[in-house]
Amino acid sequence: MNITEEQTGGVAVLKPSGRIDSATAGEFEKRLVAAVDAGNRVVVDMAQLGYISSAGLRALLVAAKKARPAGGRIALAAMAPPIREVFDLSGFSSLFEIYPDGPAAVAALAA
Amino acid sequence: MGTRLEVVLDNDLAELERLAGAVDDFVDAAGLPPEVAFKLNLCFDELITNTVTYGYPDGGRHAIRVRLEAEGREIRAEVEDDAAAFDPFTEAPPPDLDSDVDTRRVGGLGVYLVQRSVDRATYRRDGGRNLVHLALAVPP
Repeated sequence: MNITEEQTGGVAVLKPSGRIDSATAGEFEKRLVAAVDAGNRVVVDMAQLGYISSAGLRALLVAAKKARPAGGRIALAAMAPPIREVFDLSGFSSLFEIYPDGPAAVAALAA
Repeated sequence: MGTRLEVVLDNDLAELERLAGAVDDFVDAAGLPPEVAFKLNLCFDELITNTVTYGYPDGGRHAIRVRLEAEGREIRAEVEDDAAAFDPFTEAPPPDLDSDVDTRRVGGLGVYLVQRSVDRATYRRDGGRNLVHLALAVPP
């Protein structure tokens, strides 16, 4: 799993590719938490993500718990349908702002 | 005529990627849509992650067997290990699906996702082995 990172208008955009499973979720969590700690609003652009398991959801929850008291925001974008289903089934869709694509998420957080 | 697959894994989370590749190929060979591979991989991932994480208090290298069979649109899968006795469907904590960010817990979520992904998920213990059986009918 690879994660690219870009800054756009004060928003950090992390773009993981491949799979976030229990073997790779630790790296994903590390990068997410670093972005949140840096004081950024963070978009996770999932356009290149083929798979996520509950380990990935846990990583997002850890980051969200850190972001909240600091006034940070984490938005998710471009989920493939089976990934969206995982978020819906687990009730995680109500924990995050979700957008159809990266630019829409960046625009919402930069506003 | 059915399609069959058996994969033997070490009790190592790094093996999940290899299993996923084999499952992707299996689903393709069975003429089924890729979302089915996603569901199966999610189930195997969640079950095997729990086994690897909690099932071997004495450590050591152990084999985990995954068997997959497709007859038309009916899929059966079995995950077998010799880890500590554990029935995920009665012993895992209930999932927390609606607490807010501050109080939400993720324990039990993996097993819940397994149960929501397939039509039938059962456990039995036999000869010192855990056997989890999954059944899924793919809608046309």
